[in-house]
Amino acid sequence: MLFFAYPMVESLQLALRREGQFLNLRVEPVEDAAVAGTVAMQTELSVLERQRLEETLPNGRTRPIYWFEVETVDAAGETIRGWVSQSNVFIESRTESTSARVVSGEASQEWTLDFIRRMFNDFRFSSALGTTILLIVLIIPLQFVLAIIMALVLQSQIRGSNLFLYIYAIPLGISDLASGIVWYSIFTQRGFINSFLVSAGLRDTPFIFIQADNHGWMITAIVLAEVWRATSIVMVIVVSGLQAIPRDYIEAGEVFGANLWQRLWHIILPLLKPSLQVALILRTILAFQVFAVVIAITGGNIVTVLANETYRWYDPARFNSPNVAAVYAGFIMLLSLGISLFYLRAVRSQEEAAKAL
Amino acid sequence: MAEIQIVNAVKRFGKFVAIDDVSLTIHDREFMVLLGPSGCGKTTLLRAVAGLGMLDEGYILIGDQNVTYLPPKERKISMVFQNYAIFPHMTVFDNIAFGLKMQKASKQVIKERVENAAHLLHIEAMLDRYPGAMSGGQRQRVAVARAIAYDAQVLLMDEPLSNLDALLRLEMRAELKALLSRLNVTTIYVTHDQIEALSMGDRIAVMQSGKIIQVDSPTRVYDSPADRFIGSFIGNPPMNFLRGQVQTENGQVKVKIGDLMVTPSLEMQAPLRAYDGKLIYVGIRAENMEALPEAADDTLPVTVEVVEPLGAQNLLTIIIGLETIKVSTHPDFPVRAGGSLWLRFPVPKIRWIDYETGKAITPDLQQVLA
Amino acid sequence: MNQTTGVITSLSQQEFQAQHRRSRMRHTMRRGGIYLLAIGLAVWILLPIVLIGSMAFSTPADVRAFPKQIIPDPISGETMNFFLNTEGILRATGNSIVVAVLALLISTVLAVPAGYAIARYLFRGRDLIRLGILSVRAFPIVVLAVPLAVVFIQLGMFDQVYSLALMHAALTLPTTILVVASVFTSVPYELEEAALVFGCTRLQAFWRIVLPLSIPGIAASAILTFVLSWNEVFAAILLTITNRTLPAQILYTLDKSGDPFKFAGGFFMLVPSLIFIFFIRRYLFSMWGQLNK
Repeated sequence: MLFFAYPMVESLQLALRREGQFLNLRVEPVEDAAVAGTVAMQTELSVLERQRLEETLPNGRTRPIYWFEVETVDAAGETIRGWVSQSNVFIESRTESTSARVVSGEASQEWTLDFIRRMFNDFRFSSALGTTILLIVLIIPLQFVLAIIMALVLQSQIRGSNLFLYIYAIPLGISDLASGIVWYSIFTQRGFINSFLVSAGLRDTPFIFIQADNHGWMITAIVLAEVWRATSIVMVIVVSGLQAIPRDYIEAGEVFGANLWQRLWHIILPLLKPSLQVALILRTILAFQVFAVVIAITGGNIVTVLANETYRWYDPARFNSPNVAAVYAGFIMLLSLGISLFYLRAVRSQEEAAKAL
Repeated sequence: MAEIQIVNAVKRFGKFVAIDDVSLTIHDREFMVLLGPSGCGKTTLLRAVAGLGMLDEGYILIGDQNVTYLPPKERKISMVFQNYAIFPHMTVFDNIAFGLKMQKASKQVIKERVENAAHLLHIEAMLDRYPGAMSGGQRQRVAVARAIAYDAQVLLMDEPLSNLDALLRLEMRAELKALLSRLNVTTIYVTHDQIEALSMGDRIAVMQSGKIIQVDSPTRVYDSPADRFIGSFIGNPPMNFLRGQVQTENGQVKVKIGDLMVTPSLEMQAPLRAYDGKLIYVGIRAENMEALPEAADDTLPVTVEVVEPLGAQNLLTIIIGLETIKVSTHPDFPVRAGGSLWLRFPVPKIRWIDYETGKAITPDLQQVLA
Repeated sequence: MNQTTGVITSLSQQEFQAQHRRSRMRHTMRRGGIYLLAIGLAVWILLPIVLIGSMAFSTPADVRAFPKQIIPDPISGETMNFFLNTEGILRATGNSIVVAVLALLISTVLAVPAGYAIARYLFRGRDLIRLGILSVRAFPIVVLAVPLAVVFIQLGMFDQVYSLALMHAALTLPTTILVVASVFTSVPYELEEAALVFGCTRLQAFWRIVLPLSIPGIAASAILTFVLSWNEVFAAILLTITNRTLPAQILYTLDKSGDPFKFAGGFFMLVPSLIFIFFIRRYLFSMWGQLNK
């Protein structure tokens, strides 16, 4: 449990707290004098006056230390004035120079909404959120329909159902990266669909599915890849739920005149509800984490999702900001949690309504 | 008119032949019991009639309609399942109304028929309840109510009482029999319980290893089993089978049981003559032997091994030669373990059985008539 | 009376036979439809695998060719060879295996006693545990990976295969515990009691009776851990830089790589799942069936 709780706390800190250094300007050239103002690192200061003081070292000797009265413009745009010690600034000549630059200060931690603001203000954020939700809305219903069909086929006492079960379960062990590459090979300009189209004489030149102004096709490829890969888990959950439903129930439906659709709607789906609920929560949450498939198919720049943005912000080679990455992660977490609660409530309230009748 | 004809039915599961060339006609409004041990194919046959498992060969007709390959919903059948199959997510009312709703019957009709069925099974008070909290007996009633509320020509019942405890089963058996005799619907009732079969059926079809080996009224099946298997499967205790040797004395066929010579009836003389000198089985029920406290003509002296008082009767275990037999006597009959008594075998109650095939030896009808 | 069929019907023999054939045909077509559907779904799953497989075994020239052939001609190991000999791939494969095996060992070693305790002593709390496990299973890796990376940097555990293995083990541990518990539950307690009566200690009874009977199920859940770890890419790419696992390495170099590399890599990553899912297919339902009860 600690393994999960500790990172969560860490994550909150990353998202909400800025660790930085600030230099306090003092009203007098004394270490613990009152604060006259605060300046950020690298701020250029103009030196107005200087004072030479003695500093006592641990071995009893003393050495000279300069304090400067400086003037600058702070973050809010106001001119402030105060004293700084030489140890916190870079100055070419302690006795001559009229300007200095802040290089160190007091370690400070402050609660800030800056990182959150940066996430929301990022121009990719809304597109990532939109694509993520679009993918969920497209993928999950398809997966459930397909998984239920697979489960019903497996349950209909066909020969070789063990083999079919194995085949349908194969994608369970396929990563989203591999799946992305597989579907990239199908949709790419020199891929299998174009090979087919051109060989069959349906087109003279390959159709470029994956390009910046072809959003629809890129989404289609991602949806197919995800439906192909991640339907298995839903199928397995649905089949094990279906196995828990006594055959009698479905046969009673058949005997009493229900057609396939009526059996599905009146008997199978209501009895599968707990399994579907689990599958739905699991699938939705996992859907937020998909990113390798997006990178593999589209490169991850034109079409992007929340998890990909998390990685982009974290990546030392790119934005190198674990803070914003943590905000993204937290945002994904909140979305997952919210949707799970929504599913749980929606299903429960239906049952309660049924009981109340 | 809903006669059911099953003609040359065959059903295989891989190499296993579950139904092996079975033909059976169930008359309109008849209560037919399919009886047999588990794995004999009786449930498979019922499911074939229901359309829940199609035959590989043969025909099934309901009324004048060939239903062999029709899906269940087109067969006008109704069914009570072994585990009731009461939908847990529907109220009792919705369960009973299910079939009618699927047929898109009017609200009025549904209400009427559900209430009527509920009334017949005394579950009017439970219509709004969910099956979750109901007892086995109550679910059973709901299952039957659902089956009779549905508009069907044929009622199929798959071991409907097997999941009830003994007392409830006894009560439900009588109630079901009374109910079904009022409904006048063609019924196939599958059971492995011979008492249920004997007490409820108009006729019983006994199955073994995928074949029907006897179709007869309960009394005929009990008294004149077609073979050794049926004799030992039906009745408690099972029929006794003693080895006997066929001998001819002065042109008359006799059967020697131990030291006793029994003379078969006139119509059995001819068929048994073919067995001259051979062993046969002599089948007789425990209650059909006469136990006498002292020696008399045509009796066999025996020693009693065990006495089991069962209340209405005493059941005696007796060893004759290599065979152990059961004899039931009146509780007042004086007997103790280790004591002696004399048995008489009333000839009309004896079933003669071929030693090799286990089939009952029956008089050739043509010859008897001649 | 119908002589040939033995059926008594108002229809003539020909009419009856014709109608019988029709209805049989309808039934056969209904069944056939199900098979067609089953096969169609199988093709949907298998075709992409066949396609990528055929690319992996074509020559690099054929991989770049257009239009592509579905059946490689000639069959060649050149593309696979090129992929495997690309710098960093063998090392990444080794890392992947080490991480997956470590994760499997950690999670199995911890899950066996925990699962046994849950199976034998904690029947009451099982619903709660199940809920906890479901929530952890559903816990986004994305959410955990970022702060963990920072924590690992602070602890000096960053960019180590064992810290990634720890992460993967932690992610799969709850599921493994649940599966192992259900495997133990399926071993009747009477067997253990019998062993105790005939002079075994508790530990011996577990070692000699329960464990042998549970090995297949435990192995299945261990394999699942392996597959999850082998496939996991988000945490892997965040927690490592020089010691990348295979998927992380491939993803990292994806935009700089040509199609032969990509396709061979995709196929190479996919192969273990074909094999492992085959071995654990019988256990899939007991694993996931647990979650909806």
